[in-house]
Amino acid sequence: MKKVIALLTAALLVFGLTACGQKEAPETKAPTPETEAKTTQAAEDGTAQGTEAQTAEAGKTEEGVRTSLTVGFDAEFPPYGYMDDNGDYVGFDLDLAAEVCKRQGWELVKQPINWDTKDEQLSTGAIDCIWNGFTMNGREDNYTWTVPYVDNSQVFVVADDTGIATKADLAGKVVGVQADSSALAALEDEENQENLDLAASFADLKQFADYNTGFMELEAGSIDALAMDIGVANYQIAQRDGGYVILPEKEYLATEQYAVGFLLGNESLRDDVQATLMEMVDDGTFMEIAKKYADFGLTDAVCLGK
Amino acid sequence: MSTITMLRLLGTGMLKTASIFFFTLLFSLPLGLIFSFGRMSKNGLVRGVSKLYISVMRGTPLMLQLIVVYFAPYYIFGIKIPSWYRSGAVILAFVLNYAAYFAEIYRSGIESIPIGQYEAARVLGYGKTQTFIKIILPQVIKRILPPVTNEMITLVKDTSLAFVLTEVEMFTMAKQIAAKEASIFPLMVAGIFYYFFNLAVAAVMEWVEKRLNYYR
Amino acid sequence: MNVLEINHLKKEFDGLTVLQDISLSVREGEVVSVIGPSGSGKSTLLRCATMLEHMDGGELIYMGEKAAWEERDYCVYASKEKLKHVRRHFGLVFQNFNLFPHYTVLKNIMDAPVSVDKVPREEARQQAMDLLAQLGLSDKADAYPYQLSGGQQQRVSIARALALKPKILFFDEPTSALDPELTGEVLKVIRQLAKDHMTMIIVTHEMQFARELSDRIIFMEDGVIRQQGTPEELFMAPDARVKEFIGKFAG
Repeated sequence: MKKVIALLTAALLVFGLTACGQKEAPETKAPTPETEAKTTQAAEDGTAQGTEAQTAEAGKTEEGVRTSLTVGFDAEFPPYGYMDDNGDYVGFDLDLAAEVCKRQGWELVKQPINWDTKDEQLSTGAIDCIWNGFTMNGREDNYTWTVPYVDNSQVFVVADDTGIATKADLAGKVVGVQADSSALAALEDEENQENLDLAASFADLKQFADYNTGFMELEAGSIDALAMDIGVANYQIAQRDGGYVILPEKEYLATEQYAVGFLLGNESLRDDVQATLMEMVDDGTFMEIAKKYADFGLTDAVCLGK
Repeated sequence: MSTITMLRLLGTGMLKTASIFFFTLLFSLPLGLIFSFGRMSKNGLVRGVSKLYISVMRGTPLMLQLIVVYFAPYYIFGIKIPSWYRSGAVILAFVLNYAAYFAEIYRSGIESIPIGQYEAARVLGYGKTQTFIKIILPQVIKRILPPVTNEMITLVKDTSLAFVLTEVEMFTMAKQIAAKEASIFPLMVAGIFYYFFNLAVAAVMEWVEKRLNYYR
Repeated sequence: MNVLEINHLKKEFDGLTVLQDISLSVREGEVVSVIGPSGSGKSTLLRCATMLEHMDGGELIYMGEKAAWEERDYCVYASKEKLKHVRRHFGLVFQNFNLFPHYTVLKNIMDAPVSVDKVPREEARQQAMDLLAQLGLSDKADAYPYQLSGGQQQRVSIARALALKPKILFFDEPTSALDPELTGEVLKVIRQLAKDHMTMIIVTHEMQFARELSDRIIFMEDGVIRQQGTPEELFMAPDARVKEFIGKFAG
């Protein structure tokens, strides 16, 4: 009897592993902007066989009445999504999501995700949307987007005593960037020769899993500059009581916009969320929330409600 | 964030870590025994399948297995992933992986028992199951304790891999606090937590080993 | 009635014949010694008789009950249930004792009666203590095998075999693993068993012991029984090969 059970278990598992090994292979790579389109496409094919995206959302009951909204976010991405002094998840984006849910009568589920697996989380229905300083530029066709709400810039952060003042000064220096981030995408943008030349001038471009590690490297002096989102840069510098500067505006790597990303084709949920968001812009609630994070430059960065 | 809050949060993460550890052992230890039987089966097919399973589980990264187990229901069967499956997938992947290692440990233990023990039991009239449970297994357990302890200590540290599925165990928690505080300190504290966890595991296993030292 | 009857036993290992047409009957109360050079097949004979090895031909009968027989050139064994019953007729004492190291002496002796024969625990315990007393090991009841000398371990393993009340007891070179000064205590026990008319088959190198104790001695060589008879017959008028072998051991 034991042998039979062992056989069945083993057969099932091995079958399962090989079967999904084939399908998983392209997914498990950290999606670069180029492959991202493909993985999203593959995910879509998966749902197409079953039912439309709407029935597959995390927070819907069987009758199709939405009761909750599961927001996927990187919990290490202050000030948009992070842990506060009490260990609760907060941030500009999560506060916005909370207000939207309150007005819609939904329960907000804050689901921290591993940024590398965000597409799989979305297409499998583990989360309803990605709402976390999510750059839409270059990803326009891969998700269903709300209108942009934050003008973000990708900037370079250096220690204030290095004498690096321009992008040109970065030649021969070691620059760090978060893996699978917009800053990295900007540096690898095939259509932007200026950025490609800039990246080529670095001694090395190092990829980190998260900004905290990157900043630690910067502190330790093993890298000379860090390319990152301006909001996160402001937060990190404020937390560290200065000592670092952001290269001035004309030295920005790229400017771009944040929006909320939904599974491609999920317009109805996008419409619901966007309508409420615009309502909040109109009655000033949106700006109120931005003011909570004014220290990190958010009142300047938002592009709605001004 | 106050140190108290940080310790409380890390403590919450530690509970998660401890529960991954506990449930992994609870299921992988018996499952490993079943796979070790498969690995030593007289039936070539059963043996081959078990061998392949063990080889795949030991030969691929645990991190990849976590991702595969978590996303498999969707990509193979098209089933949408419910939220409770996150913790389930973590435990399942750890159980499947550790069962493969335990299977080989059991096998080495079982094969190290002298054939004379089986023959003596057989001549005395013990059945096969009786022989295994009364005569062989107790001796196997004593012999495999040191390698099992090793695996358990590795498991405590491997639980941190659950971060790929954003299961908020101690390491993920420490990373999130570190990002918030913009400091490496929470990671150091997590390291101390892990160390003491393992100190406790080692102490318990040493006690068990001593308890089994009544014979040689 | 014959306790054991072996007819035309054949055994091969990978096509190599190690036992050929062995026939042997043992009466109740008889003590039979099997001697012969190493590789002659005497241990294999014992292992076939105790069903640790599968016979390739011939018959095996205990107390008139057939355990194995030949059918169309194959050796077939009785049903599992039947064999379980047949096994209760014999006991085996190993060269290396094979005591269970995780059980105390007492448990080694009483566990099989309790677990296999379903003897009430208290009765099994009493019987085990009686056996230990007979063998002079009463004070070792709670010791573990590793705490005993080789001679003591072998005596415990004899007690373990006796606890199941076998009709016939096999010994596979019971003193070969012992230091010379420890063989005496084991031989003494076997002598006592002979006096009590225990039916026994003893594979041994102890010529003097075989001679004084046995009703019959079997000399095996190259997988066949070369000669058998009373000790007098073998030791007084041996054939050339037997003489040479005995001479070597008598030193």
